[in-house]
Parts: sequence; C-alpha cells; structure tokens
Amino acid sequence: MLQPTNIMKNPFIALLAFTVSFWLSASYIKANVITVCGSCQPNTLKQAIQLAQPGDTLLVQQGLYQETSLEITKRLVLLGQNKPVLDFMNKEGLRITNADSVVISGFHIKNIGISYTKDFAAIHLFKTNYFRIENNVLTNVFFGILVEKSHYGLINNNRVSSHATEEFNSGNGIHIWHSDNMTVTNNHVSHLRDGIYFEFVNESIIANNVSTQNVRYGLHFMFSNHDTYHDNEFINNGAGVAVMFSKFINMRSNRFYKNWGTASFGLLLKEIYDAEIVANTFEENTIGINIENSTRINYTQNNLVRNGWAVKIAGGCYTNIFTKNNFISNSFDVSYNSKMNDNKFDQNYWSSYTGYDLDKDGIGDVPYRPVKLFSYIVNQTPETIVLLRSLFIDILNFSEKVSPVFTPDNLVDATPQMKTIP
Amino acid sequence: MKQYFAMLLLSLAATACTVSTKPINYGQEACHFCSMTIVDRQHAAEVVTNKGKVFKYDAIECMINDTRKWEKSDYENIALVVINDYSNPGKFTDAKTATYLISEQIKSPMGAFLSGFSSANEAQKVQHEKTGDLFTWDSLQEKIQ
Repeated sequence: MLQPTNIMKNPFIALLAFTVSFWLSASYIKANVITVCGSCQPNTLKQAIQLAQPGDTLLVQQGLYQETSLEITKRLVLLGQNKPVLDFMNKEGLRITNADSVVISGFHIKNIGISYTKDFAAIHLFKTNYFRIENNVLTNVFFGILVEKSHYGLINNNRVSSHATEEFNSGNGIHIWHSDNMTVTNNHVSHLRDGIYFEFVNESIIANNVSTQNVRYGLHFMFSNHDTYHDNEFINNGAGVAVMFSKFINMRSNRFYKNWGTASFGLLLKEIYDAEIVANTFEENTIGINIENSTRINYTQNNLVRNGWAVKIAGGCYTNIFTKNNFISNSFDVSYNSKMNDNKFDQNYWSSYTGYDLDKDGIGDVPYRPVKLFSYIVNQTPETIVLLRSLFIDILNFSEKVSPVFTPDNLVDATPQMKTIP
Repeated sequence: MKQYFAMLLLSLAATACTVSTKPINYGQEACHFCSMTIVDRQHAAEVVTNKGKVFKYDAIECMINDTRKWEKSDYENIALVVINDYSNPGKFTDAKTATYLISEQIKSPMGAFLSGFSSANEAQKVQHEKTGDLFTWDSLQEKIQ
C-alpha cells in the first residue's frame, strides 16, 4: 500500500497524477479557441466577442480589422498572430469593463479619436483585475493604455506612440488611475503628453521602460504611495520625472538624460516624504534634481553629471541626506534659496573640490561648500546667468568660500571624497 | 523729434502697466503653485494683479489654493481672475461669474475634479451628462479646502 507521501516522492507518479487531474479539470472548463480571420466565420472581433463564452480564447490572424465600439465584459484571451491590425478609424478604442483575467497580446492597434470630454484610449480597462496587456504596438493614439479602478495588472512589452509635438491634444501613454498592484515593465512610450502617469496608484512597480520625447513628463506620480520605479530611461522629454504629493517612493538605477528647457528638470520632487533615491544617473539636464517641500529623503550613490544645476532645493526641505554621490562637471552643484539648512551632505565626490588630502586617506582634509554665492544671485535675478564663468563671479564665490556670510555655514560636506565613487 | 520721443515714452509706459490677461504658452510654462507644466486647455487659470503681474496655474484648484495663502494686501491687489471655459478649450472667462462643476467623471490636473463654465446652461448640460454638483465662485471657496 502506497502512502500519500510515497506518491509525492515518486516524481513520475506525481507528474502523472497532476496531468490527469489537470486534464480532468480542463475538460470540465471546456475553453474553446475561436479563430478570427478575414475569410473565417467570424471575420470581425465584434462578432467573435459576442460569440465567445467566458474563458474562451480568440485567435486573431494577420490582417486588417476595422472596428468600432468594441467592448469586452467577460473573461477572454485575445491573441494576435503576426500582429493583426485593429483600426478604430479615429473613434473610441477597445474597452474592457468589469471582466477579470483578460489577456490582450500581439496586436497593432491604431487611430484612436481625440475628445475633449472623454478619455479615448487604445485599450481602456475599467474595474478589471488580473489583466495582462502584452506585446502590443499602439500608434496614433489619444491615450494609449488607460487603467481605472483595477487591481493586479501587468502591462509588459508594449510600444505606445502618437505624434504630439507642440500640440496638447494628446493624452498619456500609460495612464493608471485609482488602482493598485500594477506592474509596468519593458514598454517604450513616446510622443505623448506624459509617458507614464500614476494618479492614486499604490503598491506598484515600473521597471525597464523607455520614455522619450513626450510633451510634458516621461513619468508622472500624483498622490501615489509605496511604489517603486527602477532601471527606466527618461530621455529628452519636456521634463523627466515629476513625483508629486506622494509617500514612500523608491527610485533606483534610472537614467535621466537630456531634459533641457527653461523650467525643465531630470527629477522633480514636490511634497514628497520618505523616499529612497539610489544609484540613478542624471546627465545633461537643466536641473538634475529639483526639490520642493520634501522631507526625509535619502540620496545615495547617484551620478550627477554635466547638469546646469545638479540639485536645486527650494522651500521647506528637511532631512534630505546626500551620501556617496558623484557630482561631476555641473555648472552649479547645489543651489539653495534660504539661509536655513537641515539637510546633510556626506562622503560625496565633488569634481570642483579644490582641497587636498595630506594624510592620503582618500578624504579631503578641508570641507567642501557645495553652494556658491552666485547661485543665490541667479535665483534672485535669473538674467545674471550671463556672468557665469566670469572672473568677477570667481572672485565673488572665492570671497564667500573664505568667509561665508550669505550661504548657510553648516552646509558643508566635511568628508569629500578624493576619487569618484564607483 | 521731441514729440516722437514723448510718444515713444508714453507707449512704453502704457505697455508696461497694462492690466490684462496674457495667453498661456501651453506645454512650456509651469504652474506658479504646483510647478507642473501647463498642458490642459480646459482647466488652466490666471491671476493678474493691479500692477499687471501675471500668475498662471494649471488648474483652478491650484489658483484658489495659492491665492488663499497670499498676504492680505497682495490678495486685495488682484485685478483679474480668469479660468478656462471647459466647453471652449483655451478660452478665458471671468472666474467670479463662472459656474463650476465638481464631477468624479471629469478629471482636473490636481485631483479636485473641478471644471469651470462661462455659461450656467452649458454647466447644467454637462452636469446632466456627467453627474456631479454645481457651485458659484463663492460657494466654491468653501468647498475647496
């Protein structure tokens, strides 16, 4: 007599039992596969969706499908073979409402209409949980993927684009509103208003995406808490990433590159509490990190390279701690608009540090003052920027360095590193 | 020659002190209160002081929240308050005579679901379609906290 434990010990029997039980349960579910193609019956998605029972799979073959008012309200899997094209002819796109576990994969969706009163999206999910939107190409859209009041969704490996340039009649690439536990990975988003927009979204992850050439922000957070974004690239957007009115956001290993313009920045923090900013690269931005009214934030091992302002701090910012960051070739390392300082700079590398290290312990023997007097003057009177790199300004900064009067005198890095931090 | 010079001076003086609204450069300018780039042509707002200084906002709620924090003397020096008419994107209308709608179905940039209309009829029409509550400028001040 075999004991249950013995059954599980024998891998062959266990596998057999699993297969049989799977086969039995599968035969009860009776999921059908419905093939859709130009010469099949059904030959449109609308017919196929009406025909399908919950749990069915629609296999859509290559071809052009002109569709209008397409709505899914049951659990379906839509698979495209060789990227069939869904043309919505400048009207509303695919809507998925109150249906769980929907999969949309392998489609090219195009031509979504513009509306001032409705948020038309290529794929619009409303109260839909456990969905997967994968491997799609969305072009000429108003909104790309719009998710509202949903939980546990995956948006992976999609390419979303439109042609917003100076125009504002564009929506956002991936817009998530009032949802949680979302995973947004490996997407490419370009030429929209905001590449990715999180509004009231909690416990979610954004990773390995590229967001570029968007009119406003590459990534935008509003009223969202406990989220992580890592290993993304934000290149050449109106401004890189705006994180506003949010708590506990973790930002790791992202690249903020070439966000140029009068009010542009790599990263804007506005009313942010308890965030971690680790190992990011800020390169060639007008302002690397713009910090307003943000408190308890740790900046560790970031690279700030060739920015106009590496870090600009305004308003009441408390307990911002900068440790082991590289500040390399920035016009201004740190800019402040008040005399008060409650922030800490420790063990950073500053390329403009001119001190010495006589005891050869790798730490500069004199403290570094990252705030130049000139940055105060530029804050007050922006036009004075034309004096940058003039002898007059050098003398001004030097005299302030020798005897600080205007800059907060405790704003120093007492342990500046002699070598860049790897 | 002298009179040309006088005219030039006069015209300069006139342009310097005009108290009027300025068009918003959408996609380029940032909100004075929340620093967000202004892109929404249906929800932006503007305040002009007696000296002709212009403050631009991406949302009506930002404008209200900002001016509320101003010093009393500054607040009393406001000459014009305008908002975008929801039904005519990009067109300003007087904020004090406008009708306001707060509807969960119309998102505004700073999460207050607040839109303004130049015509009360139009506001009622949109309310009928999208649900929500109507406000006047005065009742709105109590609602937005």
